[in-house]
Amino acid sequence: MTVESTAEKVLAGGRLSGEEALELYVAAPTSLLGRLADTIRVRKHPTGVVTYIIDRNVNYTNVCVARCSFCAFYRPVGADDGYVLGFDELFRKIDETLAVGGVQLLLQGGHNPDLPLEWYEDLFGAIKARYPDFKLHALSPPELLHLSRLSQQPVPVVVDRLVRAGLDSVPGGGAEILVDRVRRLLHCDSKATADEWLSVMRVVHRAGLRSTATMMYGSVERLEERVEHLCRLRELQDETAGFTAFITWSYQPPNTELGGAEATGIDYLRTLALSRIVLDNFDNLQASWVTQGGKVGQLSLAFGANDMGSVMIEENVVRAAGAEYCMDEAEIVRNIEDAGFAAKRRNMVYDVMGDPFFRERSIPRRTELAVARLAGDTTVPAEVSRYPARSRPGKEQRRQAAQQPELGTGD
Amino acid sequence: MNDDFSSVTQKIADGAALDERDWQTLIDTHDLIALGVAADDVRRRRHADRVTFVQVVDVPVETAANGGTLPDQAGELRLTGRPASVAAAVAAVRAVVARAGSVPVTGFALEDLQGLCGHELGRLGEVLLELREAGLALVTEAAADTLTDPEPVFDVLRTSGLTLARLTVGDVAGQAAFSLVRRVATWDGAGTVCRAFAPLRPAEPSRPTTGYSDLRQVALARLLVDNIDSIQVDWAGHGPKLAQVALTFGADDVDAVPAAAPDDLGWRRSPREEIRRNIVAAGFAAVRRNGRFETLDVHDRSEHE
Repeated sequence: MTVESTAEKVLAGGRLSGEEALELYVAAPTSLLGRLADTIRVRKHPTGVVTYIIDRNVNYTNVCVARCSFCAFYRPVGADDGYVLGFDELFRKIDETLAVGGVQLLLQGGHNPDLPLEWYEDLFGAIKARYPDFKLHALSPPELLHLSRLSQQPVPVVVDRLVRAGLDSVPGGGAEILVDRVRRLLHCDSKATADEWLSVMRVVHRAGLRSTATMMYGSVERLEERVEHLCRLRELQDETAGFTAFITWSYQPPNTELGGAEATGIDYLRTLALSRIVLDNFDNLQASWVTQGGKVGQLSLAFGANDMGSVMIEENVVRAAGAEYCMDEAEIVRNIEDAGFAAKRRNMVYDVMGDPFFRERSIPRRTELAVARLAGDTTVPAEVSRYPARSRPGKEQRRQAAQQPELGTGD
Repeated sequence: MNDDFSSVTQKIADGAALDERDWQTLIDTHDLIALGVAADDVRRRRHADRVTFVQVVDVPVETAANGGTLPDQAGELRLTGRPASVAAAVAAVRAVVARAGSVPVTGFALEDLQGLCGHELGRLGEVLLELREAGLALVTEAAADTLTDPEPVFDVLRTSGLTLARLTVGDVAGQAAFSLVRRVATWDGAGTVCRAFAPLRPAEPSRPTTGYSDLRQVALARLLVDNIDSIQVDWAGHGPKLAQVALTFGADDVDAVPAAAPDDLGWRRSPREEIRRNIVAAGFAAVRRNGRFETLDVHDRSEHE
C-alpha cells in the first residue's frame, strides 16, 4: 500500500495491520501522522474537551530486585539510600493531595523483597479506613507478579486480596516494549515477559478493574517492535475493553546503566500519533509532559492526545533520570486553553469531575514537584518491622529494630 | 482545514496581499498542523530539505582580551554583552580575531552600538566601519521592536558592508510578537542586510509561552516574512525539543548550538552529533555552517541509518 492509500484507510475508520502501521510510520511526513491522529481524536472526542487528573504519583519504595538497565530510580537491597515510606508519611501525602483537589494516589514502587503482600493489604486498608472516597490506582503488572511470586499465591488471588483491601485500578507501568527480545536486552524480562505482563492485565480486567497501558520507547527496540507492542495492546483491548487510556514516553537515559541518548521531540510526536492511529479501540491518550516538557506536552494535543495526564504533585522515577519538568493545575489548564480546548478535571475512568479546581478556591502555585523522601532521610518506618523480611539486610534491620524498639519510630 | 484558512494560505502562495481578516484567520487558528504544513511548504520551496546550524562560542566583551583555548568545534565566536565604549568594542573585536584563526567573529546588538553613538546614524556608520576593519564578520543581532524607522539603519549597514546575522523580536511575545512579525514582513530591504529572522524570544521561566504559541509564531514568520531568507530558532534558548519541532513548522536555521559540552553535565553525545541527530530525525539534511553563513559540511539521513 502507498502512504496515501493507508492514510485513506485510516480516515475511513479502517484498522491498520502491523505492516501497514510500520510503513506509515516510516514513510509518512510528521504532519500527515499528526493530521490522521488529530482526525481520530476529534472523532472520539468531538466536544473539544481536554481532561486531566489531580493525583499524586507516589513511589512507596525504591528498593528493587528487578535491576532493569533503563531505570535510574531503583536501589539494590541494603543500599544506604534505599527507602520505604511509612503509613503516616503516605497519609500526609494524601492530605496534601486532597488540599489541592486530588482524588487518588498513583502508587508504584520497586520490587522490594521485604514488603510482603500483607504490608500492601494493611496499607490499602488503612488508607481506605481514613479516606473512604480516595482512590488507589496502584501496583503495575510486574509489581503484582512480584507479589504473586513473593507470596506464592496465584495472580488472581493476589489481585482479589488487594481489591478487598482497597485497590481501585491498576497503572500500566512496566510494559516498556512488549517484545521479549527487547525485554531481555533491557534486563526486564525476569520481572515480567511480554506474555506475563499481558496476562496479569487480563486477570485485572477480568476482576472488574480498569487499567491504563503504557509504552516506553526509544531504548533498544526496533520500529517494528514498537508497532508490535501497540498491536498486542490492541488485541487485549479487543478481548477485555479494560484499558481506559494509553500513555507513551521516551526512555530517559541519564543516570541509567543502559545510557545512550534520548529520542527526540519529533520521535515523541510521531510515536504518539502512530499510537492514536493503531490503538483504534482506546478512547484516551495522555500527553507525557513530565518527560517531554510543557511545550511538547501541549503539542501532543495536536498529535492525538486528548488528556494532559496528571498534575502529579510528586514524581521520583523520571526525575532520577534527569527530567525535572513541573506543571501545576493552573499551568496545565493554561496550556489546554491556549491550544483551543476546554479544560476539565476527571477521575481514573475519565468521568468529568468538574472545572479547574484552582478557579474554585485559592491554591498556592507550585514550581517544582515534591519527592518521596528528602535526600538523606533514612528513617525506617516503625510498622515495617512488623512484617517478615526476605533479604539478609532486611532480616538484620528487623533484628536490630526488635532489640532497640526506640529506633525507627518514623515519628 | 477550514475554507478561510485555505484561502489565506493560497493567497500567501500566490504572493497576494493579506487583509485584516486574513491576518486574524492566521493568528486565530488552532489548527496547528495546517499552519505547519503551509509554513513547511514555503520553507521547502526556499531551502529544500536543508537545515543549517552553527556552533557558537560566546565571548563576554569584558573578558575578550583574556586568552584561553577555543573549542575545536566552534563555527562562530560571538562577542556578547554591551561594550563600555566604541574603543572597547573595537579592542574586543581585535583581541578575539587575533586568536580566532579562520573562525568568524561576530558581536554586539545593533541597539547597543546605536546607544554608543548617541543614536546618530552618521556616527553609527563610522563605528560599523571601524568594527569591520577590526575584523568583525557580522553584527550579531538587532531587535525589531527597537527599530521604529528601520530603512535608514539598514542603509547605514549596507554602506558599512556589515550585515546582521539575525533580526529578533526583542522582548515581545504573544499578540505583540504576531504584530511585529507582520511589521517586519513589510520591511522590503531587510533581506539585504539580515541573514535570518528569529521570531521567538529566548525562553524565560518567569514569562512562559506555550508550544502552540511558539510554533504558531514560527509558522507565521515563515509564511509572511518572505523578505528574509532564513527563519531561525535558538538551540540553547528554546531547548532542543521545541527547536527541533519548529524545523517542521517553517524554521530552517538553528543558532546557538554549543561548541563544547559543559564540563558538569557529562553529555552522552557531542553537541554536533546531537544537533545532527535531531535535524535528521526531523526529516532534513543537517548543514553545518559558520558565522558567515558559509557551508562547512552536510549530513543527510543515510549517514544516520
